[in-house]
Amino acid sequence: MAAGMSRGFNVLLDAVVRIDVREIAFEAGARRYTASLGSGVIVSNDGRVLTNAHVVSPRAVEINLTLANLERVGARLVGWDHWTDLAVLQLDMDEVKRRGWKLVQAEFGDSESLHPGQVVYAVGTPHGLTRTVTRGIVSNPSRYFEDNRGVNGYETGTFNTWLQTDAAINPGNSGGPLVTEDGQVVGITSRGYLGANNLGFAIPAAIARSVLERLGDDGRIVRSYIGIVPGALQDLENFYALEVRTGMLITSVDSGSPAAKAGLRGGDIVLSINGAKVDGRFPEQLPPIQNMIATQLVGATLTFSVKRGGEIRDFSVETEKLESRVGEEWAFEKWGLSVRKVSRAYARENQLDDTTGVVVIGVQPGFPAEVAGISRGDIIAKINQQTIDSLDVIKAAHAAYEAKPAPTLFETQRNRRVSLYIVKP
Amino acid sequence: MIHSFSGRRPHSRGGPRRFARRGLLLTFTALTWTSLPAANTADLPALWAERVKSVVAVEYMTVTEVERQPSVSMGTVIDGNGTIILPSGAVDPRTALWELKDFKVYLPGDAASTPGEYLGQDAFTGWHFVRASEKIRGQLTPISAFAPKTPPRAPALADFVWGIGLRNKDEDFAPYILQSNLALVQSLPQRTGIAQQEVAAPGLPVFNRDGVLVGLAQASFGQSFLQISRANRGSGVILINVEESSAFILAEEMLPHFGRIPKQPSGRPLAWLGTYGLQPMDREVARFLNLSAQSAVVVSEVLEGSPAEKAGLKDRDIILQLDGRPLPQFKPDRVIVSHVEREIDRHAPGDTLALTVLRGTERIELKAVLGEQPKVMREAERKFFDRLGFTAREFVYGDGIERRVKPTEPTGIIVHHVKSSSPVAIAGLRQEDWVKEIDGVEIKTFKDAVVKLDEIERDQARPEFVLLVSRGGDTAVLRVKLR
Repeated sequence: MAAGMSRGFNVLLDAVVRIDVREIAFEAGARRYTASLGSGVIVSNDGRVLTNAHVVSPRAVEINLTLANLERVGARLVGWDHWTDLAVLQLDMDEVKRRGWKLVQAEFGDSESLHPGQVVYAVGTPHGLTRTVTRGIVSNPSRYFEDNRGVNGYETGTFNTWLQTDAAINPGNSGGPLVTEDGQVVGITSRGYLGANNLGFAIPAAIARSVLERLGDDGRIVRSYIGIVPGALQDLENFYALEVRTGMLITSVDSGSPAAKAGLRGGDIVLSINGAKVDGRFPEQLPPIQNMIATQLVGATLTFSVKRGGEIRDFSVETEKLESRVGEEWAFEKWGLSVRKVSRAYARENQLDDTTGVVVIGVQPGFPAEVAGISRGDIIAKINQQTIDSLDVIKAAHAAYEAKPAPTLFETQRNRRVSLYIVKP
Repeated sequence: MIHSFSGRRPHSRGGPRRFARRGLLLTFTALTWTSLPAANTADLPALWAERVKSVVAVEYMTVTEVERQPSVSMGTVIDGNGTIILPSGAVDPRTALWELKDFKVYLPGDAASTPGEYLGQDAFTGWHFVRASEKIRGQLTPISAFAPKTPPRAPALADFVWGIGLRNKDEDFAPYILQSNLALVQSLPQRTGIAQQEVAAPGLPVFNRDGVLVGLAQASFGQSFLQISRANRGSGVILINVEESSAFILAEEMLPHFGRIPKQPSGRPLAWLGTYGLQPMDREVARFLNLSAQSAVVVSEVLEGSPAEKAGLKDRDIILQLDGRPLPQFKPDRVIVSHVEREIDRHAPGDTLALTVLRGTERIELKAVLGEQPKVMREAERKFFDRLGFTAREFVYGDGIERRVKPTEPTGIIVHHVKSSSPVAIAGLRQEDWVKEIDGVEIKTFKDAVVKLDEIERDQARPEFVLLVSRGGDTAVLRVKLR
């Protein structure tokens, strides 16, 4: 407290960690390792650490945390949720105990009661400068934006709003806490506008706490999906003959999704869901509605009361499990080929018939796949006439090729055009 | 069209080479001394002056909602009725027939023009046909006058060839001569001669030393260059000479087709099989599938309601034979696709096309009765709404295919053109958007849309209207403010 900071703030400083990560990357047609760093905050005495999903992902092969005492300790990923850009790590507690360290845990504050102009601090490791504190204010406590590829290509921002701050946020701050003057964590610092001055964003603590609670045994959060893209109704109420602050516009419906199957379509106005009135006048109001749908049990039936033209009708929509567009990735080094499984969302987005196949995300020049003519963006549907309905199929084909290299027939699709290639040693 | 041909041409200049060529020329002269009068072969200017009468420049206007765009193309006269053929690239295939206006025919070197009549495009040759007015027909010589009288010997490498170029309009399309030597003959899939240098303007004839027709210049191939500057250390660029070409289809690919004058400007009837995404097969794959000395194409998709579907063709079938003939091999592999398309275009609707396909490991014989091609984009109805600021276009079969909906059940309209800064432009409407609802009312047909849009356009008191549009699989509600 010597310099005037609160006791709570000093405790918080002890709970902030630096995170060094080594990750595997598949894009180049081979396995490559990359190193990156970020920040995190210890949120429980048993060694749980909160950070960003884009700092530590399931591709991490080595995670090292630097504690406030400047000592380094290993950790593993126990929870990952790119939709809210949050990840949870578990410190190696055996190591912590063996070396007699005492962990300090940060306290959460109330992110809902923040007001614009309120002073906040960001603590983290910007550009590798460990334990950097920057100061700013809350610029906007409820900023809305979605980013379809925001977390290393994964979707984010659909289910939450963000805290906006002018505290200096730089690469490496990611995953560190945004705190009040008394050291309470009100957000997890996550992003900044590149090329702009002091436009930083953090995930509100309320979201972070709920994610911590809801993570399942497999470290994931199960959400429901119905496949609507909502839009704000502002200025359109007159046209739709609606009271102000009533209803949410459906801008678009994903083809083949539960909403599409139920008969919903773009231009429909949702008046209520399961009897609860919906108000989607402003963009900021959309994430809570999306979140409300997402938190339904998978397979639950939701009743949408919808205004279409002059009539009001009910639609029953059965939710399915939410999945990312980004499927599992793998590299086949003998072929010089990196692929990603076609996911249900990817198939819908690209109007594919089903989830058959893998998308080529990289080829290595001069290797058999590239020489044969296969290129990034092709979808490999069959190998030697066998349909690729899982990564295992192509893994087996590659293993056979590794054991005994022989000309192999690939069937690919690109913009609905089917091509055949021979990949050979 | 092959754009990336980058065949290296032998250098035609340089000391030692000149001697070599003189040697060749001497031998040639010695051999032909007695059979041909020397004056004839040498009198190129006289041959040129006669043959310039077989070429014209054709100018026309593309009249759209907001502009008149002139285009110029070079053409060759094919008969005594003043019929002129223009290369396939002379008209943008997206342009509606009624947007093509004011065809004018210019004689080389003459500033005056006479009106021409557009007769349409032939699908098989790709040629556009234009007819010159009677007034100038007397000044034209059909190119057939210079056709070989007896079956000509095949063009041989290094044969001397020459042709005609025309300068631009501001120089009254003044004719000039181009000369070269044959470097290579390729099947692309037509027998195509490639000369060492540019030999004629695209669309104009190519002759041999005796003035006998040897071919018709095509759009020129791209050539690869390295662009090097202080800032740029050698990046590759492909340059295409649009005024002169070194590639020409041989006379045998040209002369038999002068009778293919379209009966109507639409070029119909047009034969239709109904496949989407024919993909070439490379030699490695052919060998793997035990197809020796022949080529094949993969059918990516069989279109709904098409003759191909009725014949039992399936997605991913591999076409091996057409009418009992195995598909030939071409270089590059992708030429086979043009070959197959031409084989279909060669037919008329109602003709039966026999197909041998490979499905899995099974060979299957199919017979397809070719149909008439569904309405294409350039035939689609259109209407421009000036106050709203866009052109609505009828939804045609091809739009359904592109948007992956049942092409046989058209619905909505396509935005053909958006006037910049117009109300719809400000609202975010874009070209190629698919309008499905207007003011909350589903649009089934083009007529429905026109009625609705006319009503909105006329209503000066109306403050706004709403469009539901689909773009790339997503829909969006656009609010258009009119006041």
